[in-house]
Order: sequence, then C-alpha cells, then structure tokens
Amino acid sequence: MRAPIATAGKAAIILGIALLFAVASGGSTGDVPEPLGLWTGAMHGPTPKTLAGAAVVDFAAIEALLPGKPLLLDVGPAARKPEDFPSDRPWLPIHRSLPNAIWMPGAGAAPLAAAREDLFYRRIGELTHGDKAKPIVVFCRPDCWGGWNAGKRLVRKGYTSVSWFPAGIDGWQERRETAEVKPDADWIAEPAR
Amino acid sequence: MKILPLALSVALIGATPAPYVVAADTTATSDERAARWKAIAQYIFGDRKIEPTDTLIKLDAPERAEDAALMPVTLTMPEKDKIKSVYLVIDDNPSPLAAHVSFGPAADPGSLQLRVRVDTYTNVHAVAETRDGRLFGTVAFVKASGGCSAPVASSDDEAMQGIGEMRMKFAEGAGPGKSMQATLMVRHPNFSGMQMNQLTRNYTPSRYIDKLSVSYGDRKIFDLDADISLSTNPVITFSFVPEGKGPLKVIASDTKNGRWEQSFDTTTTN
Repeated sequence: MRAPIATAGKAAIILGIALLFAVASGGSTGDVPEPLGLWTGAMHGPTPKTLAGAAVVDFAAIEALLPGKPLLLDVGPAARKPEDFPSDRPWLPIHRSLPNAIWMPGAGAAPLAAAREDLFYRRIGELTHGDKAKPIVVFCRPDCWGGWNAGKRLVRKGYTSVSWFPAGIDGWQERRETAEVKPDADWIAEPAR
Repeated sequence: MKILPLALSVALIGATPAPYVVAADTTATSDERAARWKAIAQYIFGDRKIEPTDTLIKLDAPERAEDAALMPVTLTMPEKDKIKSVYLVIDDNPSPLAAHVSFGPAADPGSLQLRVRVDTYTNVHAVAETRDGRLFGTVAFVKASGGCSAPVASSDDEAMQGIGEMRMKFAEGAGPGKSMQATLMVRHPNFSGMQMNQLTRNYTPSRYIDKLSVSYGDRKIFDLDADISLSTNPVITFSFVPEGKGPLKVIASDTKNGRWEQSFDTTTTN
C-alpha cells in the first residue's frame, strides 16, 4: 500500500510545481512573461497575455468599448518600398485598419529616439484633449510587440483607461470590415531619427 | 451562385472592373475595394476593358490561407489555345501586381500554380489576356495577413544558403507529343525589404527574383515577371509540350544581379 501513496504524493508535488509555474507566468505554461520595461527585442514574436496597468481586450470587448468613442491607436508598420523596385511597376501601399483609427506607424518601436517619443506623447495628449482617463485602444497585428510597447508607454505616462487588443487588425477583419487609413499627418511630418 | 454573374454584370456597366460582392462587405468597403481595383487596373492595363469571365480563367485560392507567406494560387485556363498571358494581382499588397506570365509556343497554358505572399485580407484578381488582345478577369477574396513581412528564416545567412539552386519535378504519365506537367522549385529568399532581421532588428534589404524564363529546346514555355509578392523559395507548376529536342532550360535573375541557369532532362527527375 505504500507504493501507490508515494506515487500519488509525487504526482501531487509535480502538479503543485506545475501550478506554481502557471501562476508565476500569468497563464498556461509557455507564456511569455512581461518584460520589466519596454520590449527591445525582435518586434515580431509571441507576446505576453498581460500588460500591467492596462486591460487586455478581445473583439467582444472592443465592440463594447466602441460606443464610448475610444481613441483607436494603430501602431502597425508601414509598407517599405524595396530599394530596387522598378519605376514602371505599381507601388500602391494601402493600410487597412479599424475604421476611424489613428495610425502612427512604428510608434511601438523600442528604443525610440527621445524626440519621437516626445512627439508620440504630444500627439496622444492632443488626441485625448489632455484627458488621461480617455479610453485608448492600442493594437497592430498579432504577435506584434509594437502594440504592447505603445500600451506600456501610455500606462507609464499615466493614462488610466488603456486597452491593448493583441489580435489587432486580424482580430477585427475576421468579423468586421476594415477601412483604409492614412498615417497620422503630424506623426509622419517629422522625419524619424 | 446565380447572383454573382448578375451582380458582376451590373457592376461592370461602364467597363469598370469590379470585385464580386463579398459576404462580409459593407457597401462602403465594397465601393472602396472596387475603387482600389479600378486604380490598379488603370495602372496595369490603362484604358483596356476587362471583361468578366467564368470560363476563360479560373482562380483557386484557399479562402483562408494557413500561411500568409506561402499561399498557393492555381490559375486554370480551360480554353488554353486562346491564352497569351495571365496576370495575378493581389489588390491590397503594397505591390499589387504579383506576377505576369507570358506563354510561348512550347507552353500548355491550361494551368499554372504558384505561391504568393498576402499582406492583408484582400481581393485577388486573375486576368487572362487572349491572343486577340482582349482581357478577361475573375476574382476571389482571401483571408490571410502578414505575409509580406513574415521572417524568412532565423537568420539572413541561413535564408541565403543555396541561393539559385533549382529542382524540377515532372508529373508521370505524359505520353509522347502530349503535354507534361512540371514543378520548378528555386531556392531564393525573395527578400521583400519588409522583413526585419530578427537578430540585428534592421530591415533586410530587398532581393527578389524579378525574371524567370523557361524554355524547351529553343522554344519558349513562359516568361515570368515577378516581384516581392512571390514567396520565399518560389515554386511554380506549369505544363508544356515536349516536342522536338530538349532540354528544359530555366534562367532566373534577381534584383541584385544574381543570374542562374539550369537545364533538366525531361526523362529523369532531378
């Protein structure tokens, strides 16, 4: 009778350890933990399930937020024209996003030059009319750290109603139509440094 | 399905090519997509009219691609003797014209398959140019995204390994004088310029196959003009009529002055 008990005890210990890891990482095993600050690694890759200080939202939550007219902030990258692209071929980049989104391509990059980061905060300040409690939804594409970083920047700056939508444009276009959006004019007016 | 030709013919009054009505579309977006296609068509075809067709060219693409960087597209041209060339347009890719294939005397233009990158949920148009100079188009909506910027490999060095190497597979069962199907595979990263090196975090400069020419003996099978929408390690399935003396010869060139040439004996598979 001792052997089965010992086995059961061992299993319980293993289960306990597994649970401990699951809790520590904020979800199922294999999750990506939140970095302490901004993520400065490769922009494309698995992202955490959480963003401290912000809500992590899915499509249903976005729909519930929309009547409150949140600032929809798209930080997805802009298309880059190949350096050797022939002049007689059509180069017609288009960016489809959530309707009425403000698009600041590359605003989730880290590190970001101080002047660019200042501009980012200035534009957000203008777009929210200085209301730190204004609901803001940040996103790009799935597996994109840009959205996470942009959300982190807003939380750090004291914005209190930040939502991060990890499924991003893909999560939206799965259920609703997208609209063509142009880059925020002020954001792209100053050259990237 | 009966609605589609009607909707298309209505939309086509005024000789404006328009996409089929997509179920998820709102009218505004449908108009936006139609306007987009009109602008692209104007760029590629000028004022030439594109007639709708259910018979001259068919486009098969998965409604939902498993991998947006490797979406298979099959073009079928049942009335193959009428076909001079085909265009594949991925409307919402930054470079919409993915491929233009001009068939030569040794071609069997009945079907063509290639693999492409798709940047966002988009209409895909296939346009056939007939020998008498008319254009016929068809469209499909595909759900795939992120294909143009998806990393090629864990490192650029790895992606560049074996660049220009080719393999050819022949389908079995072709008799003498009959057309034969072949699949060409070219090792090439086809860097789009939009892929970030995962280690250095710099964008890898573009380098992609822009010309591919395939002939049998001294007779042309096809010329392909391509660009960044073609997947890494391009794979093209085509048919040809192996009349006269071979071999099957492929010449590929890229935008960084790479040029590769290889011949294949149709009696053996390399």
